[in-house]
Amino acid sequence: MKFLALIKKEFHRFFHDPRLIVTMLLPGIVIFLLYSVLGEAFNGKAEARQYKVYLMGNSAVTEVISAAAKENGDSVEWLKTDDEETAREAVRKGEAAAVLKFSENFDGAEKGKVEILYDASNEASAAFYSLASAALNVYGMRFTVAAESVTGADALGVQILCNILPLLIVAFVFSACMSVTLESVAGEKERGTLATILVTSAKRSHIALGKIFPLACISMLGALSSFLGTALSMPKLMGLSLNMLGTYGFWNYFFILLLIVSVVPLIVSLIAVVSAYSRSVKEASAYTGMLMILSLVLTLVATFVPSLGNWTVAIPVLNAVVSMQALLTGTLPVWQSLVSVSVNFALTAVLVLVMTMMLSDERVMFGK
Amino acid sequence: MQEHEAIVRAENLHKTFTLSKKQQKIERTGEKRRVAVNGLSFSAYRGEIYGLLGPNGAGKTTTLRMLSTLIRPDGGDAFLCGHSIVKEPQRVRDVIGFMTSELKLEGFFTPDYLFDFFGAMHGVDKATLAARKKELFSRFGIDKFSAVQVKNLSTGMLQKVSLVVSIVHDPQIVIFDEPTNGLDVITAKVVTDFLEELRRMGKSIILSTHIFSLVEKLCDRVGILIGGKLAAEGTLEAVAQGDLERTFFALYEGEGGTL
Repeated sequence: MKFLALIKKEFHRFFHDPRLIVTMLLPGIVIFLLYSVLGEAFNGKAEARQYKVYLMGNSAVTEVISAAAKENGDSVEWLKTDDEETAREAVRKGEAAAVLKFSENFDGAEKGKVEILYDASNEASAAFYSLASAALNVYGMRFTVAAESVTGADALGVQILCNILPLLIVAFVFSACMSVTLESVAGEKERGTLATILVTSAKRSHIALGKIFPLACISMLGALSSFLGTALSMPKLMGLSLNMLGTYGFWNYFFILLLIVSVVPLIVSLIAVVSAYSRSVKEASAYTGMLMILSLVLTLVATFVPSLGNWTVAIPVLNAVVSMQALLTGTLPVWQSLVSVSVNFALTAVLVLVMTMMLSDERVMFGK
Repeated sequence: MQEHEAIVRAENLHKTFTLSKKQQKIERTGEKRRVAVNGLSFSAYRGEIYGLLGPNGAGKTTTLRMLSTLIRPDGGDAFLCGHSIVKEPQRVRDVIGFMTSELKLEGFFTPDYLFDFFGAMHGVDKATLAARKKELFSRFGIDKFSAVQVKNLSTGMLQKVSLVVSIVHDPQIVIFDEPTNGLDVITAKVVTDFLEELRRMGKSIILSTHIFSLVEKLCDRVGILIGGKLAAEGTLEAVAQGDLERTFFALYEGEGGTL
C-alpha cells in the first residue's frame, strides 16, 4: 500500500500538471517538425529523378529497386556493362548514379554479394544509394552488401541513420530522464519534502523504488516521443522514403524498444542516485550533465570505432547503442541485445540498492 | 504525572558529528569532531508536554532527530512506546508524528491529497483515514481549503495543514522541533493552541525550544540541555524554582557558558 501510494504520487504529480506533460512530449513533436522541414529543404526535388545505373551481373533485386524508385516518382535506367573502370569513371563524373555489381549467380547462391559504387558527395547518387540500400533490406538478408563511395566521401543515407539514430536516442532518453528525475529527487531533497516522506514508516527500499519506477515510466513516455519524432523524420532528413522504416522486421523494432526500455530505468536510477547525493538541483544538474557527456562519448565511440567486439555488452548504454546500430542495419543480434538488456536491468537493480542505502544514510540525507 | 507510564525513555544517548573543512572555517575552529549529545537520559510520560530547553547548539535538534529515527545515535538507545530507535526504527516511525521547519509539504498538492498520501504511507486504512480527515479538517478549519494547492495557502493555514498531516496516523507521541521558531504571532498561536489540543486528546508531546515563555505556557515537565548534557530535569515548577529564566542562566554559567 505504501509503495503503491508513492508510485501514485509521482504519477499524480506528473499527469496533473499540463506543463510537465507538454515539456515531456514537446521535444518529440518539435524534432519531427524540425527534421521534416529540414529534410524538405535539403532534399526537396523539383522534378523526378532518372537514375542511370551500371549493372554488372544479374539479379531480380533490380526490379525491387526500380519499383522503389517508381514509388518515389523516380525511374532507373539499367545499363549492362563488364567494364568496371569506365562505369566508375561515369559515376565519378556524375554521368551515372551508381554501379551495382552482383556476384555470380547472385539470386541462386547460398550467400551472394552485392557491391554498390556511388558518389556520396553527389546528391542524386547518394539518394540512389539510400534507395538501393533500403530496397536490398526488403529483398532479404542472405547476401552481403559492400558500399563504396567512389569519391571517398563518408557514406550517407542508411549508414548515417544507423549511426546517428542510436546517438540521438541516447541523448533524448537522457534529457527525458533528467527533466523528471532531477526535480523529483534532488528537488524534493532540497525543498525538504523528501525528509517528510522519510519520517513515515515506509521502507527505504520502497521509497527508492517508489521514486525510480514511476519516474522511469514517465521518462519512457518522453523518450518514446523523441524516438518516434526522430525515427519518423530522420528518413525525410536523409532524403530517404518513409517506406524504408518498413524494411525492418517486427523483431528489429521489438529489440530496439526493449533496449530503450532497459536504458531508461538505468539512467533514471543513475540520476536518482546522483540527485540523492547532491545538496541541490543545481549541484545534481552539474553532475548529471557530466554523466550525459560520458554517455554521449560512449555513443560516439560506438559510432566511429568499427567492430568494437563483444565486450561492449558489459558496458551500460554502449551495449544498447551497439545493439541498436546492428538492429538498424537490418541484422538481428538476439543474444547481444538480450545480454545488453539483462546487464542494464541488473545495474538498475544495483543502483536501486545504492539509492536505498543513501536514503538510510543521515550524512547523505541530512548532511550540511 | 510521574506515576504514569514512561512513553519515551532516552538512555545515555550519544551523538558526534564530523565537521567538514568548510564548517571548521565558518565556525573558526580546528576541531574535526563535535559532540552534539553527550550521555543524555530522560523520560517523558504519557499525556504530558515535555520541553527540551536549551541554547543554540545544545543538541536539542539532534536529540529529536535521533528520537524520530532520522539519524542514529552513536551510543545509547531510546525507547518510544517500547520500541528501540536503534533496533526498530520503522516501528518507532509508526507511533510518532515529527514536526520541524525542515520538513516541508510539496506545494503542488492539496491538503486533501497530502492527508490521504501520508495516511497511506503510514498504512492507515481508507475508512479510518476518511473519518480522521473529516474530524481533523473540521477541528482545525482546514475543510474550506482542502482543495487548494498548498503553495497557495496562507502561512497560518499551511502550518495547520503540516500539523494535521504529521498526526494523520494518530500517533501516540508528537515530536516538535522549535514549534514557533520564525512564525508570526498569529501562526505561533495556531501552533500553541494545536499543541494544547493534542494534550487534551491524550497525546504525549516532546518539544524543543529556546523560548522560556513557550515552556512556561505549555510544558508539564522540562529538561534543560546545555552542551549536549542534561543540566536539570523535572516538573516545570521544580526546575524553574519560581523563575525559569534566572534558573536557566545560573545553570548555563555553572556549565561554563559565558554571557
